[in-house]
Amino acid sequence: MNKNYLLPGIVVLLSFSMIIFSTVLLPNFIFKPAPSEFAVKYTPLEAKGRKIYLREGCVYCHSQFVRPQDRDFGPLVMAGDYVYETPNVLGTIRTGPDLSNEGGKHPDAWHIAHFKNPRTTTPGSVMPPFVYLKDEEMKALVAYVQSLGKKRIVKYNRIYHPDELEKVLEKRKVNVDSSAAANAGRGIFQQNCATCHGTHGLGNGPNAIAIAKKPANFSRPFFKDYDDVTWFWRITEGVPGTRMPQWGKLLTEEQRWYLVAFLKTLPRENEVYPKAYETLDPERWNEQQKISAAELNSQKPAMIIETKGPPPGAGGGH
Amino acid sequence: MFFSDKENSASRNFIVTAVFWLVIGMTLGLTGAIEFTAPDLSTGVPWLTFSRIRPAHVNTVAFGWLSMANIGIVLYIVPTLTRSKLFNEKLANFVCLVWNLAIFGGILCLVNGYSEGREYAEFPVPIDVMVLTGLLTLSYVVYMTAITRTVKKLYVSLWYILGTFFWMPLVYFIGNRTFVRLEGLNDGIVNWFYGHNILGMWFTTLGVGIAYYMIPKLSGRPLWSHSLSMLGFWTIAFFYAPTGTHHILQSPVPEWLKALAVVFSVALVIPVITVLTNFFMTMKGNWWQLANNLPLRFVLTGAFFYFITCIQGPFQATRSINWYLHFTQWVVGHAHVALLGTFTFFDFGAIYYILPRILNRQFYSVGLARAHYWLTLIGFLIFFSSMTIGGLVQSAGWHAGIPVNQWGIEMVPYWILRAMGGSLMWFGNVLFLLNVIQTMRAVKPLDSPDVEPAMAPAKS
Repeated sequence: MNKNYLLPGIVVLLSFSMIIFSTVLLPNFIFKPAPSEFAVKYTPLEAKGRKIYLREGCVYCHSQFVRPQDRDFGPLVMAGDYVYETPNVLGTIRTGPDLSNEGGKHPDAWHIAHFKNPRTTTPGSVMPPFVYLKDEEMKALVAYVQSLGKKRIVKYNRIYHPDELEKVLEKRKVNVDSSAAANAGRGIFQQNCATCHGTHGLGNGPNAIAIAKKPANFSRPFFKDYDDVTWFWRITEGVPGTRMPQWGKLLTEEQRWYLVAFLKTLPRENEVYPKAYETLDPERWNEQQKISAAELNSQKPAMIIETKGPPPGAGGGH
Repeated sequence: MFFSDKENSASRNFIVTAVFWLVIGMTLGLTGAIEFTAPDLSTGVPWLTFSRIRPAHVNTVAFGWLSMANIGIVLYIVPTLTRSKLFNEKLANFVCLVWNLAIFGGILCLVNGYSEGREYAEFPVPIDVMVLTGLLTLSYVVYMTAITRTVKKLYVSLWYILGTFFWMPLVYFIGNRTFVRLEGLNDGIVNWFYGHNILGMWFTTLGVGIAYYMIPKLSGRPLWSHSLSMLGFWTIAFFYAPTGTHHILQSPVPEWLKALAVVFSVALVIPVITVLTNFFMTMKGNWWQLANNLPLRFVLTGAFFYFITCIQGPFQATRSINWYLHFTQWVVGHAHVALLGTFTFFDFGAIYYILPRILNRQFYSVGLARAHYWLTLIGFLIFFSSMTIGGLVQSAGWHAGIPVNQWGIEMVPYWILRAMGGSLMWFGNVLFLLNVIQTMRAVKPLDSPDVEPAMAPAKS
């Protein structure tokens, strides 16, 4: 080679090795964080789940680090949290939510339903369905997702879900079966919920027209299967994919229990009137009402409402 | 075909197979884009799932199309600029065969879930070995051609090309080190050193080198300033490599490394401005040539996109702007304006110019080529705007602290626009493939050579 190019050649070599040294080798020599309290040492099942996470390319839509400005993904992550993570799944884009604090946020069954068809649990999601995962793969993946952040978010006591049932119930001070609590809840409902769900909980409040995912109609049969804690969890966490906010951030625990008490009293659709009402003759109203009073009380509807059915396009709101 | 010893046969093989990979890669990308508008499309089909399509798309267009087209063009440029034959045509042809097999195997691996899981380094180990061997062999061929040259002075394109073939095998080796197990964040740091330098020290330096060759050649005007071009080369060689950490700027990696990444990212304005000043000053007083010089139009459109991407880049890397824009579709738009808008357009221009000269045959159709230009340009502008605006919508969502699922539905128009832009580009590039195939089959050209003189071989 021409000697004129010897010096430039050496300069290229030197500058490039300097760069390699400073950005590739140096960090590995001097940056060795100690494992933190939240660093997850994976069990064989979780490790298998992590392999599936990598194989299915979850990292292309879900990041795994919380930034200082993120408001909804729980506590910040530290360098020591990642000690056992190889290869890294930090991620560079959030088409879906961040998963660093996902562990303990949802029950296992929620995750399985979510993987099989994301639209059932989060309306409007663009996540692809992973129905083809075998049962044991699904189990491993759920185990991995539940291990993320070592339930950091549960530790910080910001979240409730059906798995934490006893803890939630222990702290409860409101008797949700009392009509006093239901009455208190009615006021909270009218102030906070009625604009979307309607004053009677039929999902026909004035805002319902403008919302793409229609608010829930509480007279639907499956809401009658909700137990207290499910109601409480649903109010606290809101409904992802809809305008239903996380009321846990806006209402106190006591207020949410009052709401539960009220929501439980809402009648089922087409069963709004007690059976006795069907035989009522408007002309002999007063007479008949005396007769059926006992029956009325035994069924104790919170209010008498018209059954025109749900407004057009009313969503289930699950 | 792959064992030929004919002059420029390796260049031809690389370019033609690259065009096939382009269409395959774009089909994969378009499939992914459509799945955003209809997520249930892939129900029950593992290899059609977006999260598997995406790495396959990225690797096909990056290593199948762009790398192979760049290499093909380089294998034409290097012998031309050194006025000597390629050192070993057979070896280069053999690399072309190996590379094609590697991409084919790699895509099959990725859609079937055999992925290493590191962005841009997803190919499994056997594929990595094949690609690295190919790179090293090409380095050997290119360097030996340069050493045995007959022209003493090295033109700036050769600086870029020789530099690239020096550092790229090293960068690729570092990026795909599966046998070195690094812990968590260290793995991320090295991953993004590689992830950024595959763009910066491979596509950028080769692309800019190609543009430095194509613009003076196609416009027939001498390069405006040789010393400015050398300044651009040395600054890009020095400033590009340490910037990788800006991809994980808000993760808990060491602060000094982030500071280094931000400072060098901002410093990248210098090579960009010098390169573009050189391009545009060369074109000064010659812009009329764009009217009837399609390859030049391609290259200069690429140069304008280069301006956009390289003004975005340094600013996005600063902490305050990264704070707002990171994690959103804005970044997807940015990545595409670099690889599709800039370097792919450079390569289109170069292929329209080089292929007729290698084959000594006029390009089949000027009309198809013009349709290719406009469809790709318009499709890309739709794509880029929708991703940029959609990214700002997402940023606003993150910034306001609204859960992702609540503003996710607001993104639907942008997903649809992206798929529409993508369809236009896909259609344009199918026309391009058709044009290349017809040219290869030596079908009689539809137009007279005077319509686009640059797309016909030189009269001799």
